Amino acid sequence: MRILTTFLLAVGCCLAVFGQQPISLHGSVQSDVLVPQNDSVIGAEKTGDVLTNTYVDLQLQSQYVDAGLRVEYLEHPLPGFERDFEGWGVPHFWVKGRLGCAELTAGTFYEQFGSGLILRTYEERSLGIDNSLLGGRLVLKPVKGVTVKALSGRQRCYWSWNKGLVSGADAEVALNEWMPSLQKSGTELTLGASWVNKYEEQEDVYADATHKYNFPEFVNAWDVRATLNKGPWSLLAEYAQKSQDPSFDNGYSYKRGSAALFSGSYSKKGLSLLLQAKRSENMSFRSKRSMIGTSSFINHLPAFTQDHTYALAALYPYATQLAGGEWAWQAEAGYNFKRKTALGGKYGMNVKVNFSHVRWDGITFYQDVDVQLARKLTKDFKLTLMYMNQRYNKTIVEGEGGMVDSNIFIADGKWQLSSKTTLRTELQYLATADDQGDWAYGLVELSLAPHWMLSASDMYNAGDTHIHYYQGGISFSTGAHRVQLGYGRTRAGYNCSGGVCRYVPASKGYTLSYNFTF
Amino acid sequence: MRKLYINKVQKWVGGFLPFYLFTFLPFFAACSHIDEADRLIYVKPAPAARCVLLEDFTGQRCLNCPTATNIVAQLQEAYGDSVFITVAIHGGPLGFKGNDKLVGLATDVGDEYFKHWNLEYLPVGFVNRHGIVDYIEWTFAVKEELTRPAPMKMEGEADIKGDKVDIRLKMQSTEGTITGKLQIWLLEDGIKAMQLMPDGTADSEYVHNHVLRTPVNGTWGEDITLQEAENKNTHHTQTLDPKWNPEQLSIVAFVYNDQGVQQVVKVKVKNKKV
Repeated sequence: MRILTTFLLAVGCCLAVFGQQPISLHGSVQSDVLVPQNDSVIGAEKTGDVLTNTYVDLQLQSQYVDAGLRVEYLEHPLPGFERDFEGWGVPHFWVKGRLGCAELTAGTFYEQFGSGLILRTYEERSLGIDNSLLGGRLVLKPVKGVTVKALSGRQRCYWSWNKGLVSGADAEVALNEWMPSLQKSGTELTLGASWVNKYEEQEDVYADATHKYNFPEFVNAWDVRATLNKGPWSLLAEYAQKSQDPSFDNGYSYKRGSAALFSGSYSKKGLSLLLQAKRSENMSFRSKRSMIGTSSFINHLPAFTQDHTYALAALYPYATQLAGGEWAWQAEAGYNFKRKTALGGKYGMNVKVNFSHVRWDGITFYQDVDVQLARKLTKDFKLTLMYMNQRYNKTIVEGEGGMVDSNIFIADGKWQLSSKTTLRTELQYLATADDQGDWAYGLVELSLAPHWMLSASDMYNAGDTHIHYYQGGISFSTGAHRVQLGYGRTRAGYNCSGGVCRYVPASKGYTLSYNFTF
Repeated sequence: MRKLYINKVQKWVGGFLPFYLFTFLPFFAACSHIDEADRLIYVKPAPAARCVLLEDFTGQRCLNCPTATNIVAQLQEAYGDSVFITVAIHGGPLGFKGNDKLVGLATDVGDEYFKHWNLEYLPVGFVNRHGIVDYIEWTFAVKEELTRPAPMKMEGEADIKGDKVDIRLKMQSTEGTITGKLQIWLLEDGIKAMQLMPDGTADSEYVHNHVLRTPVNGTWGEDITLQEAENKNTHHTQTLDPKWNPEQLSIVAFVYNDQGVQQVVKVKVKNKKV
């Protein structure tokens, strides 16, 4: 409360000093509500009358000073969120001043250095992630093409801040701004370097009944990177290293951590290519060494697997294994066959092929190969077909279940019935002899522009349980407002991360979502 | 005037500040490197002033649970299982109740305890019921509890008579009147059953110890009041289940209230064969 009061006073002072400039107010409201019901078929229990995650963001902007805060209400959070989330308050508040080439932020802030290998603080509400820093950050652009950042703060951990101090600096130089030869050839070359330090006091953690660990109080991480863009080509190479950081995640090992990644892409005239590789080992980096669960990560390693949006393709999503190690490869190729060609047909066709593979120590963690075809068959009808072969190591990712090998077939059809009416249907089938067996999924979505959308879906387990997970919803949008009302079932699952296995219960009931941006 | 001031600040920020920042950076880049010989600090075991109860919530499908069991084994080796008393409570979604092929150790009462304490994950435990403790902190929590004198004494005996376990307890408060609940549990050691291991494999020959088989006097025990310096004797019986091995049974009895576990005792069940 004292910090918040100080912040409000600072905002007031800044506005008074620069008050002659016009000030604008922006913000957003997001509220997701569940009215739960009992359902013995899926094991859903009514754990409260109303559960909700509600967020209100407010922002004042002026020429020299911006300020903002976020109110969060999670007194009765939605299912699947850790119990430590319960509560309400103002965990996010900041004031930012700009003067010439400098920008100073005081309060809570988010920041990423490079690809996030040693620092990435961000907010992802659906996953319950918010690891912002409370402190100060200075960003300088002293000359063209040079950006320097310095920051220090304590990391958010649910409704408080960890005692550990996270500090860092980052510098990026766009060489093309300094070298006319690069400018002439249309080449952009940027070099970057970062450093992050975590300070945390000693604590009593026992290796056995008569010995406790001697922890390093300072942990350092370094990162160097280079990006090259020329015409259709884009290349990124990055390497990071971390000093001794014994923690719960790595079983209190004193080994150093390292990560290297390479990414190359080509995009021109309907053809796109992507090739990525990453190797990481012992790169779990938290501001609290004994933390378990999803909180307090300082860094974040990209998964290097395809993010799938179709329901059954996303049934077994891979999560990066930070504490151990992994090799990850991804290759993707896409091509747009032009319209009025033999393969493109009257309206054109898009083909995309993707391959992702993650392994470590001879064990496959995840693999998928998918082929996607999207073609407009008539003026009003577009069809997308996808086939995916997936290998998912459920034991590695979720803590149990063995390897799940599956073949997934998807058909997605979209009809433009009139200028304001669109009908979309999805049919999906997942065939597997593992875990709970086969799944089938169907979706119908009717869009009545500009305001209404109705949808109904059912995910059916054709293997073990023969349970229907049905969902129905209606949404209305007008201006900056969007309201969605739904009813249905959500299946249960396990989430093993941070060294413990957490059960996410099944749920059933009415859902209400409201979004407003201004 | 104000513009002149702003211009001066801009020049200073753009010109000098970056160099000042990098000058001070080395002071922040402190690094602690710990050589191998210095990574562990010896802590002399303190004499035990009481017995301590660890309720270890676990499950056969919990692959992190064997790691927690190793910590239990270390503590038992250091303090002995008459001072450091542990009960493995199998239950919750990662518990396994068995099928016609595999032995399951989870019980309905284990599920009830899991649900009552609102547990979110496994493994996790209670040390003398002073709040949920993650397994990596068990050693520290147990050491802290061992130094706290107990306000009461407990002794017990248990043996098999016919098809029943006969349990006799003697209790006495040493500090005023104690009001709470007396809980008696029956445990079994040496059960070979499946357990998921941290590397993801399933060990079908894993030996499970201190497994909670059943509460003897109700899920949450019975009311009890102890007066200072007065002995209180209790007598209970528990019918044997044919699935249990009578050679491997023991009784854990403890008195608890809102201040936690006041005292605990573990007694091996003697099987006097006639």
